[in-house]
Amino acid sequence: MKVICDRGALVSSLGLVGGVIASRTPKPVLTCVKLTASAEEGLVLEGTDTEVSVRLTTPRVEVAQGGDALIPADKLQQIVRESVDATLTLSTEQDVARIVGKDSKFKVFGHPPTDFPAVTTFTGEADFTIAAGELHRMVAQTLFATARENSRYAINGVLIERTGNKLVVVATDGHRLALARGLCNTDSKETRSAIVPTKALNLLLKLFDDAEETVHVRVEDNQILFKTDQAVLGANLVEGNFPPYGDVIPKDGDKKATVATDALVSATRRAGLLTNEESKGVRMAFTADGLTLSSRAPEMGEAEIAVDLVSYEGDAVDIGFNPAYVLDALKVVDQSEVELELKGSNKPGVIRSGPSFLYVVMPVSLQ
Amino acid sequence: MPIARLDAHLVNQIAAGEVVERPASVVKELIENCIDAGATRIEVVIEEGGAKLIRLADDGCGIPEAELPLALTAHATSKLATAQDLAAIDTLGFRGEALASIASVSRMKLMSRTHVAEGGAVVEQNGDERTDVRPVAMAPGTVIEVKDLFWNVPARRRFLRSAAAEYGQIADTVNRAAMANPDVGYTLSHNGRKALNLPPGQSRRERCVAVLGKDLDDALLEFSFEGRAGDGTGGDEAPAEPPRVWGVAGEPSVARATSKFLHVYINGRPVKDRSLNHAVKEAYRGLMAGDRHPVAAVFIQMDPRLVDVNVHPTKAEVRFREPRMMHGLVRSPLRERLLESDITPSVVPAAATGVAGAGSGVGGAPGVGGGIGGGGARDFVSAFETMEPNQKGFVYEEVKRAMAADDLFVRESTAASAADLAAPLDQADQAAAATHTAGASGVTGVRVLQVHDSYVIAEDVDGVLIIDQHALHERVMFEAIEQRILGDGADLESQRMLMPLVIDADAARVALLDDAGPLLGRLGIEAAAMGPSAIGVHAFPSLLLSRGVEPAGFIDGLLGRIEEGDLSGSADALESESALHRVLDMMSCKAAVKAGDRLSDAELAALLKTRDEVERSGSCPHGRPTTVRISLRELEKLFHR
Repeated sequence: MKVICDRGALVSSLGLVGGVIASRTPKPVLTCVKLTASAEEGLVLEGTDTEVSVRLTTPRVEVAQGGDALIPADKLQQIVRESVDATLTLSTEQDVARIVGKDSKFKVFGHPPTDFPAVTTFTGEADFTIAAGELHRMVAQTLFATARENSRYAINGVLIERTGNKLVVVATDGHRLALARGLCNTDSKETRSAIVPTKALNLLLKLFDDAEETVHVRVEDNQILFKTDQAVLGANLVEGNFPPYGDVIPKDGDKKATVATDALVSATRRAGLLTNEESKGVRMAFTADGLTLSSRAPEMGEAEIAVDLVSYEGDAVDIGFNPAYVLDALKVVDQSEVELELKGSNKPGVIRSGPSFLYVVMPVSLQ
Repeated sequence: MPIARLDAHLVNQIAAGEVVERPASVVKELIENCIDAGATRIEVVIEEGGAKLIRLADDGCGIPEAELPLALTAHATSKLATAQDLAAIDTLGFRGEALASIASVSRMKLMSRTHVAEGGAVVEQNGDERTDVRPVAMAPGTVIEVKDLFWNVPARRRFLRSAAAEYGQIADTVNRAAMANPDVGYTLSHNGRKALNLPPGQSRRERCVAVLGKDLDDALLEFSFEGRAGDGTGGDEAPAEPPRVWGVAGEPSVARATSKFLHVYINGRPVKDRSLNHAVKEAYRGLMAGDRHPVAAVFIQMDPRLVDVNVHPTKAEVRFREPRMMHGLVRSPLRERLLESDITPSVVPAAATGVAGAGSGVGGAPGVGGGIGGGGARDFVSAFETMEPNQKGFVYEEVKRAMAADDLFVRESTAASAADLAAPLDQADQAAAATHTAGASGVTGVRVLQVHDSYVIAEDVDGVLIIDQHALHERVMFEAIEQRILGDGADLESQRMLMPLVIDADAARVALLDDAGPLLGRLGIEAAAMGPSAIGVHAFPSLLLSRGVEPAGFIDGLLGRIEEGDLSGSADALESESALHRVLDMMSCKAAVKAGDRLSDAELAALLKTRDEVERSGSCPHGRPTTVRISLRELEKLFHR
């Protein structure tokens, strides 16, 4: 195998594939990136941690001779990043890779390419297709709300549920729940769902950053595959049952406030300054006259911030929230105003931004 | 068999079964008689663990010749005359049973002489045979010899344990009695060897130290408390005398594995009372590991009307009219005393003591007066500092002379030796100066080092501190949470769950929730039964969540402990406070940094800062020490300085 690559393009491709490759694992081949060169596809990089895999075509490559190689990813990445040339020549002979620049020659020992575990390829029809920008938005609006290392494994992942062409993405950690809605293209009318590990979706956000692209999505056996023209992302699904999210979204919130997103972000940040570990809650007092945020940390001090409401209907209500939970949601809101729906001080609160984003957050007890 | 009235001797033997269990109980009864007789010296002689001979001699008031035979008769006593007396007993004995009971199961010889009598009298009893009273020559007082205990009750005799074991019990009995009466002198000998010699007229503390062990002297904290007049009186009786408590308590570092070293006295009477023992242990709560027992002697002086000693034949148990008040009376002053003292244990490495011994042998110049050889160099130096100049000169000459005698001074140059003598002086001066500038306690400076991601090493004015990061942080968290719950009276902030977290539980655990609900509520946990075999958690403390504590595991563990009876969720105030404490233990343990967590410099500094701020920072909530100190002196010893 021998290819001449544009160094900049190779750096960013290796960066993306490197995101899935483990740096420490007892199986050395899993620390490697697989390179496959052919006249038809150019240079293809593959990496996997056996749970999540990426297959990416590198642009701006000239293939002089086809072939494949398995090379330690971090070394290749460092060499390419530190080199100074505009183009690099990458050639392999048996299990040894040579990277040659104008003034440099590297020889890196690799492994036989046949040792690399087979990465599932995208074969067959897509279940649905969706604009990359839309998929990107829905994942970004939910991914942050997943649990970390929770013993209920299902909520460590993100639920992607499709009913006909309606797509819903849901994540929760047991204290708050984020839900994004969108549309996709499909002929199927059935309801299908899958729980996708967060690592795959983090990679998805980086991989599919061209909003105009079309992403093909297919679920088969215990895997989900996302494909664009350049890349294929595959992941083993998280096993288990996602909690019935429909049941926890309250529908009886009779106190509705509309508030400017920026103002609420700023006020919540400031009120959050005077909280501590044992006393995290920020009190939000809603009245027809406006919203008052207050916080108190024992032996530290107190804060009080007034926020104008665009509109308010219903009785006054006091409720305490962990400010971090509120801010997480407000950060991913893409509209200038949000709606809050409340019922009572120990009942869940709902933040809405248009029809496509909904966030349920559980209160903390108020003193 | 027809019903017949038992003869008097048989009645006494039956009574002896209750009172005279073993030689130690004989000694106890007889010592009580000596004390009640106003003795100032009591001599106890034991042979073969008391099975062969128990002989007590005192210099008390004695028994008039005419009353001697009566003294050996059951229910005959000089300590009690009316039923009113029984309600307010101020003597140790009162039942009038002891002598008769003992006499019925041994060969007893009773000799006595009052201070006004010309001579003594003696009477002997051998089972149910009693001799006439005969005159005998003796000093004023009473001597009782009990020989061949249980000679006529073979079953009992067989149950006696080895002489050594029985003697051990006797020695405990004498020690217990001796602590209660420091102004009485005691001697105890076994098989002709003197085992104990306590001079009369000791102070309370001196006596306690003499009995508990001289090595504990430095570790014994004194505490005292005087109740208000009228505390605990009920009804329209004359106001009760205010109760007084005095005692010594060992620092947690000298705690023992058994409760044998915990002594409680009511009006001079050693008692075993679960509630008072509990009060002492409660005072140590959080300062000492749960399986350790304090070394302590607690003396309570109280109105005899408020305590009933007529509960148990050997009077080891008592009943209080107000048990709750008694509990507080002991716990509060002791706990205050423990909290106000610096109980950071010092480390004396085993090897160091040997080295130190050798060191003082060289430096201390054998043959010089006790001031040098006995007290150690540092003591000598500080004593030297306080001397008048002419005294210093004298001492210097004395040292020189002594060293010359040992051929030390002449071998080395005078200048070098003088420098040697001056060096420790300088050190002492510097140390003293440091103490003045840096204040009495507290960690100095910010030089800290984390080792093995588990321990923090810092210095204070006395030496080097080694801190267990988990134990200290656990204490800090504990105090913070406790302050919030008990101090501010607020419940712990809890984060509600989006959907209840379901924990599998059997029916018994589900049932526990009814009782434990209020306790859990204060801690910010809301849990309810979900069907017969599951528990739903609806809210959990945000503090624990942010520390990554899994609610399921935590609540499972908590219920497990309630189930085992380790902590009770009941509403009883006393119980629930200690239950709360135990749950806080669990919480702070889970929430604290673990051994193995690497801490940043800022975190280390913050942790050490809290050490000074937090009460009881010397031990973690389980009572393990958070900090040990190696004093400069110990370091100097290690380096042969």
